[in-house]
Amino acid sequence: MKTSTKSLDWGLTTQRLLAIAALLAIWQVVIWSGMLPSMTPGVAALASSIGTALTSATFWSALAQTMTAAVSGWLIAVAAGTVLGLLIGSIRALDRSTSILIDFGRSFPVLALMPVVIMLLGATAQMETVVVALSCLWPVLVQTIYGARRMDAAVADTVRTFQIPALLRFRRILLPSATPFIATGIRISASIAILVAVGVEVLSQAPGIGRQITLAQQAQRWDSAFAYLFFAGLVGWSIAGLLNFAEGRLLKWNRQTND
Amino acid sequence: MAIQAPPEEVQVATKPLLQVQGLTMSYGVSDSENKILNDLNLEVNDGEFVSIVGPSGVGKTTLLRCLSGLIQPKSGTVSVGGEVINGPHRDLAVVFQDYSRSLMPWMTTLENVAFPLQGRGVGKKERNEAAEKNLAAVGLAGQGHKYPWEMSGGMQQRVAIARALAYNARVLLMDEPFASVDAQTRFDLEDLVIDLQSTLGVTIILVTHDIDEALYLADKVIVLAEKPATVVDLIETGFGDHRDQVETKADPRFVEARARILHRLRDH
Repeated sequence: MKTSTKSLDWGLTTQRLLAIAALLAIWQVVIWSGMLPSMTPGVAALASSIGTALTSATFWSALAQTMTAAVSGWLIAVAAGTVLGLLIGSIRALDRSTSILIDFGRSFPVLALMPVVIMLLGATAQMETVVVALSCLWPVLVQTIYGARRMDAAVADTVRTFQIPALLRFRRILLPSATPFIATGIRISASIAILVAVGVEVLSQAPGIGRQITLAQQAQRWDSAFAYLFFAGLVGWSIAGLLNFAEGRLLKWNRQTND
Repeated sequence: MAIQAPPEEVQVATKPLLQVQGLTMSYGVSDSENKILNDLNLEVNDGEFVSIVGPSGVGKTTLLRCLSGLIQPKSGTVSVGGEVINGPHRDLAVVFQDYSRSLMPWMTTLENVAFPLQGRGVGKKERNEAAEKNLAAVGLAGQGHKYPWEMSGGMQQRVAIARALAYNARVLLMDEPFASVDAQTRFDLEDLVIDLQSTLGVTIILVTHDIDEALYLADKVIVLAEKPATVVDLIETGFGDHRDQVETKADPRFVEARARILHRLRDH
């Protein structure tokens, strides 16, 4: 492994910090120029409201509620999508017969399902979890099916000539060869999970960060609305970063063979 | 069919280990049928090293896939130890040309070699020992912890050979095994396979388009030509166990046999 990827690149870090500073400066200039409504918070007001949020119990409980719904919905989708996807992708008849259903499901606007789920479960955390799970299922399912389908011809021949039994073939060949695809599905669906969780809260007033943003908006508290927005973005970004790191560790062979 | 065995090679009464009878293979149906192999017959005795040589596209790989049970012939039979095969067989191990793809990148070298044994239900300790032993046999002792992608092409092909050896099959089928390595590595691998064959006594059938390679390695060279492919010549090399990349290839018998094969291939 190259060591340069492990040690911190100071030049790059400085450039990135400068980019953030430039963005903040532009923001402040726009505020001073009076192009935005006077209620829009400046950089200082934003910073202080982020600080206030960090020390408020409301913020932490809202964050916990959003995260719980997002993560549980996501985990349900990952488990169901992986198992179903491996089955569908590795059994040809099943793959062909279900492809129309899967194409329909993945293009279905899941947010439109929300009112129906609210009728069934009310504007609750369970409802939110269900909507998140339904949204996250498709990327995981579709990617896993691709991964399971795509067994290399040379690998398939090898497995056949050595007469590898079905269960071992599934565990040691099919699953690892599909893993890079499954990982992509998991990563895509993680950002969808946060997006949908916050969106559902904004629309349905289920408790969480999304609801806090709406409440701040209704109370004309622009500064805290922006602070919550910032955290919603931060959470999505951190999760994506974390998953990228985990993928790099667990799927080292894939990065290497694709180099 | 033009099979010419030298007079001193009188056919022994023992049954051949691998026997191909009337093998015909084609793709497509009726009028669009594309015939690849036509009424092929060959016999390989226990412990023999046989090369099958022919121009690219003649159907060598198709033949090898029939021999390994990966595809079913249209007609004719392949039998191992007197038993007609109808699919992959316990006594047949294959080394593929595409070694970098036939090794699993998510398994270490040791796991790759031990995997066919795991498939047969051999316990972990025993199969790892067998894998270590066979890695050592191909000159990769102590390299089991590495992943295939951490190795050169020649080393990867050694791993593939070790895996086939560990399977402990009676016949090793090799499909253009050295086609994608550099010349020096190719010579090293050829000598390795000759050594393994004489020390382990395994029967080897190797398919190649390289006439020199076919002659240098084998006890018996089968020449395939025509469309659809059929056996046009059979040569017993008679070089014995000791071979040398320089000496053997300068041997008058070698030069004569090479000319004979070239003529055969040109005439068809």
